Amino acid sequence: MILRAIKKWMGLAEGDGTASDMISCEDALAGIYEFLDGELDDPSSERIQAHFDVCERCYPHLASERSFKAALQRAVDNQRAPEAVKSRLMAVLAETTM
Amino acid sequence: MDAPESGKVSFQEEALPHLDAVYRFALRLAGSPDAAEDLVQETFLRGFRAWDQYTPGTQCKSWLFTICRNVFLRQRERGQRHDEIVQKNVASGGGISGTGVSVVNPVWQASQDLDPEGEFFSSIVDAEILEAIDGLPEEYRTAVVLSDLEGLPYAEIAELMEVPVGTVKSRLFRGRRQLQQKLYEYAVEQGYISPERQDVAG
Repeated sequence: MILRAIKKWMGLAEGDGTASDMISCEDALAGIYEFLDGELDDPSSERIQAHFDVCERCYPHLASERSFKAALQRAVDNQRAPEAVKSRLMAVLAETTM
Repeated sequence: MDAPESGKVSFQEEALPHLDAVYRFALRLAGSPDAAEDLVQETFLRGFRAWDQYTPGTQCKSWLFTICRNVFLRQRERGQRHDEIVQKNVASGGGISGTGVSVVNPVWQASQDLDPEGEFFSSIVDAEILEAIDGLPEEYRTAVVLSDLEGLPYAEIAELMEVPVGTVKSRLFRGRRQLQQKLYEYAVEQGYISPERQDVAG
């Protein structure tokens, strides 16, 4: 109810980002990857964030993409070059001249 | 001619800290720890020999990734690497249309009632995620690895892959969608998510 009141005050229909500087659902979803990748300038990023803050239909998509990204990063979190690889590389470099 | 001691120290200080990242990248390109080690060694040797061409203080990690990828591609062209997993994955379709791809992710559409925030991704084991990444076509895989795993900005990825930024965005979009499709199917198979209708795009 509070969310609907806020949207009404902002001049938004539910799920419809058409206030004066509120972008549409389609534009928010189209920009979701650039937004999450930190590739947008501050004004564009803020507009997209503002949409996800109030749009009940779009927010789950943002959460889903974040969950996906987190899973990918977690998969390589503890991946390091084995010590043996490091040792052999150092040995090869020590024998090499520029 | 022996390398100047200062040159070696500089390489150790600036390039070697990126060994883990280069190894991770090599592993995703080459597909096996042994092949990855060969690729890593070749990458750092070439980097060491070409150290005078590198401008100190610039993006050393990207520079090393570029060398790594170039070495990998040349080896592949010579037939020393054969990506059978990719051939099978491409043949199976991957679920992405060639034109008019919707902004609405088909995986979101399929899972929105049961798991609207994609929590099933956190249930999938790391090995399966890595296998799914390894199954992507090389161009999509490289873009996803460099962006999602290594955090490189689009401009650096574009320079590394020698394509426009728009192409990087397109490869990321398609690579991520293919990956999500594959992981969604795995999650359904494992029972992490149980749709009544399995009507994902494909």
